[in-house]
Amino acid sequence: MSDLVIETSGLRKEFRTRRGGLRVAVQNLDLAVPAGGGVHGFLGPNGSGKTTTIRMLLGLARPTRGTMRLFGEPVPEKLPQVIGRVGAVVESPKFSPNSSGRLNLSLLADAIGAPRSRVDEAIATVQLDGREKDRYKGYSLGMKQRLAIAATLLKDPQLLILDEPTNGLDPAGIREIRETIRSLGEAGVTVLLSSHILAEVQQVCTSATIIGNGKLLASGRVDDLLGSSTAHRVVVPEPHLAIEVLGAAGLAAVADQEAVRVETDDAARITQVLGEAGVWLTELTPLRPDLETFFLALTDAERLGAEA
Amino acid sequence: MNSFVRLVTVELSRLLHRRAALVLVAACIVVPTIIGVAVVLDTRPPSASEVAQAEQQMEAERNNPDFEDGVEQCIADPQGWGGYGPDIAAGSEEAEKVCRSDMEPRLENYLYSAQLDIGQERDSGSGIAITLILAMAMMLLGTTFTGHDWASGSVSNQLLFEPRRLRVWFAKAIVVTGAATALAAVVLTSYWLAIGQVARSRDRLGDGVLLDCLQMGWRAAAVTGVAALLGFALTMLFRSTVATLGILFGIALAGGILLGAFGVSDRWNPALNVGAVITDGITYYAEVPCSQEAIEAMGGDYGYCSEERELTLAQGAGVLGTAVVGACLLSLAWFRQRDVP
Repeated sequence: MSDLVIETSGLRKEFRTRRGGLRVAVQNLDLAVPAGGGVHGFLGPNGSGKTTTIRMLLGLARPTRGTMRLFGEPVPEKLPQVIGRVGAVVESPKFSPNSSGRLNLSLLADAIGAPRSRVDEAIATVQLDGREKDRYKGYSLGMKQRLAIAATLLKDPQLLILDEPTNGLDPAGIREIRETIRSLGEAGVTVLLSSHILAEVQQVCTSATIIGNGKLLASGRVDDLLGSSTAHRVVVPEPHLAIEVLGAAGLAAVADQEAVRVETDDAARITQVLGEAGVWLTELTPLRPDLETFFLALTDAERLGAEA
Repeated sequence: MNSFVRLVTVELSRLLHRRAALVLVAACIVVPTIIGVAVVLDTRPPSASEVAQAEQQMEAERNNPDFEDGVEQCIADPQGWGGYGPDIAAGSEEAEKVCRSDMEPRLENYLYSAQLDIGQERDSGSGIAITLILAMAMMLLGTTFTGHDWASGSVSNQLLFEPRRLRVWFAKAIVVTGAATALAAVVLTSYWLAIGQVARSRDRLGDGVLLDCLQMGWRAAAVTGVAALLGFALTMLFRSTVATLGILFGIALAGGILLGAFGVSDRWNPALNVGAVITDGITYYAEVPCSQEAIEAMGGDYGYCSEERELTLAQGAGVLGTAVVGACLLSLAWFRQRDVP
């Protein structure tokens, strides 16, 4: 078995526009999501090709060129053999509006021969109990999202593909779904999480892929992508004295509001220099770019490059 | 359970849970029932009190002096009054006989009650009307069943659980066609058996007529199933109930006009072919160059003459079958290849 649960190579998708032109949604995308559980972030600005890529992986759209594999099997050719191991929510939830949440789930469960008890479990997992007999069209957006996630759980999946799963959820709902995603990842399910909420992705993702204009911009473990810290924030009672001492020791330091920013990744050296001078620090924080900063830097560069 | 059978069961369940489908099914039962009741009531034999009342009216008319005046005027001028030929002489016994016979009040003139004619019901009465209603309702069922899925976007959700699109298409098609055919067969069989029973009780059921009606009902049921399949296939192609109904309406409205404008024979008229299948062959008239014999008979060449022709059941089924199979193949190919929103 392949050690990659999702693998694309040279994936390309073109759309014909109404005026007869050509729009490239995905360009030669090489995507690799390792097996063995964990949450993999799939990030990109609106219109960058995330949803199109997901739809191609799930057989809803045909690639113009390139190859795709799920669990090592080529798709869409072998999709029927692997779809039972894949749960997915693509864009907004899509169910029959006049049917109840339970009926919608029951029909999907029957289609794959899953027992009705699985429907009850899924409803309980997403906490829709008590409202499952209501019509779907009467659900709030958050409830619709929960029902969509419940549908993915009908299969007992090894791979979950979630496209903006927390859209419309209230803060408590977002936290619940985040915890659900995190626990599924820890339980050995591999989750491909497409989201715009980068702080949320950073909290749950172990690895990430960033795309822009349909092209791969960066991919890897989140820690590796962000890199190690190159500066530290120091809080001391007398910042001016600390800047002077650090400067005399050859460390570049500048005032940063009530603190001092020191341009080095060597935290031990900072504490040593300040300690020897009798300047006692009360806080020492490594400064690392967060995912949002990294993402914006990458996508801005891509946008500027595209415009150039 | 076989996975395809399971899928068909799911689609049947999906159909039975659609409110619009249930309304259409109810309409297919209620409307023929109302039509049947109306036919039975309209053709019921007159009651004794109605006959007595009619006899009274007849007697009153006979005793009316105007009646005798009219008869005498007719005898005096049979050609002017009665439109009789010159062989009936004015004032003759023959004139009195024909005038009195024709002007004599009759009981049926005062009893406005048609008699149940099951053969007429089959050929040009309620049988055709019910068939048309069933076919249109089931075509609507076919379009709304899958149009609802496209409108809500749930087709993509279904494909996440069964990505084999051909299977999905066939499972839905089998359910729509099967349900429409079965419903129409039950409704039409029940209708003709009920009407036949009424006709028998009135001693108006000829030999073999009921079997003819039942056979027509079963052919109509098959046509109804095909109509539902066509509605389904076109909606899978256009992905919209409204678009499909618009196109079907356009074909129904403009199809005959266009065929006529382009000089295409009625042989290819969809309605005529449907009629040929339902009624086991149909007669139509084709415009053909007049024969020498006809030119001589008419005393000149007037261009085209009407010629009576027969469109058989097999020919009608061939035309309809080709059109429906073509639409299904196009629908299948499109559904298989195109991206699903």
